[in-house]
Amino acid sequence: MQSKSRFRPLKIGDVFIIIFFLLSVFFLPRNQGEKVIISVDKSKNFVYHLNQNREIIVNGKLGTAKIVIGDGRVRILNSPCPLKICEKKGWISKKGDFIICIPNRVVIKITGKEFDAITE
Amino acid sequence: MQSLNRIAFLSVFTAASIVIFVVESLFPTPIPGIRLGLANIFILLALIFFGLKEAFLIGILKSITGSLILGRLFAPAFIFSISGTVLSTFAMWIILKSKLPFSLLGVSILGAEVHTIVQLLLATTIFLPNVSFFYISPIFILSSIITGSLTGILAYLVYSKTKRRFKFCTN
Repeated sequence: MQSKSRFRPLKIGDVFIIIFFLLSVFFLPRNQGEKVIISVDKSKNFVYHLNQNREIIVNGKLGTAKIVIGDGRVRILNSPCPLKICEKKGWISKKGDFIICIPNRVVIKITGKEFDAITE
Repeated sequence: MQSLNRIAFLSVFTAASIVIFVVESLFPTPIPGIRLGLANIFILLALIFFGLKEAFLIGILKSITGSLILGRLFAPAFIFSISGTVLSTFAMWIILKSKLPFSLLGVSILGAEVHTIVQLLLATTIFLPNVSFFYISPIFILSSIITGSLTGILAYLVYSKTKRRFKFCTN
């Protein structure tokens, strides 16, 4: 085989492949979710459909948190945690997306498949 | 003499792959499943100096023996490892054999990516179906670029120092 020039350090194909994989990360399809699972303290799981607008009040470890479902999206409206990271996350709607509030032990996850509630 | 040399070198490559695989699997990683993949250096070199069959042999032996030592022989981790190794070796072979302008760095990155993506696909479809592949893959794809580059650079360094010794090989 042609040895020397074949394996010179950097070639045009390498640049192409790096760019390809970098871009692939940004063009991954993210599907709209169907249901949301709200877990409190890892034991109680509540499943709601995303197409029903509602307000849910959950009792977490620190206190009560208000969760809102509207327009196929869900977010934490207010939470008793000190840093409010979960509130700042805002709306989530895609499959696989999640909001967690660690101090209050609340986990909100968007799913589309039937058996998710059991595996949680 | 040629076949003795060949067996000797293949044995060393295999042993080195296994040791590197086991040792790097013991390092803690922030995300499970992300490892440096340094054993791919030897698989890539085997592809260059010997051929696809030999590289497959090394890869499969690395996967089985390494998983045996780590106590994961029939665990999901083993299925990921062996599938990823086989398919990534095959992908690297295709690119190497083609006339496409890739250097060792690019081939290595491709191998690392194929390995990671195969593992992720298996994990999200068979073992953890409730996790969305598209949701968790970005971090793995990005980190594979980095680990693939590292492996590629190291492979290139080893290659440039040792290619004279391997003049007897098919390539």
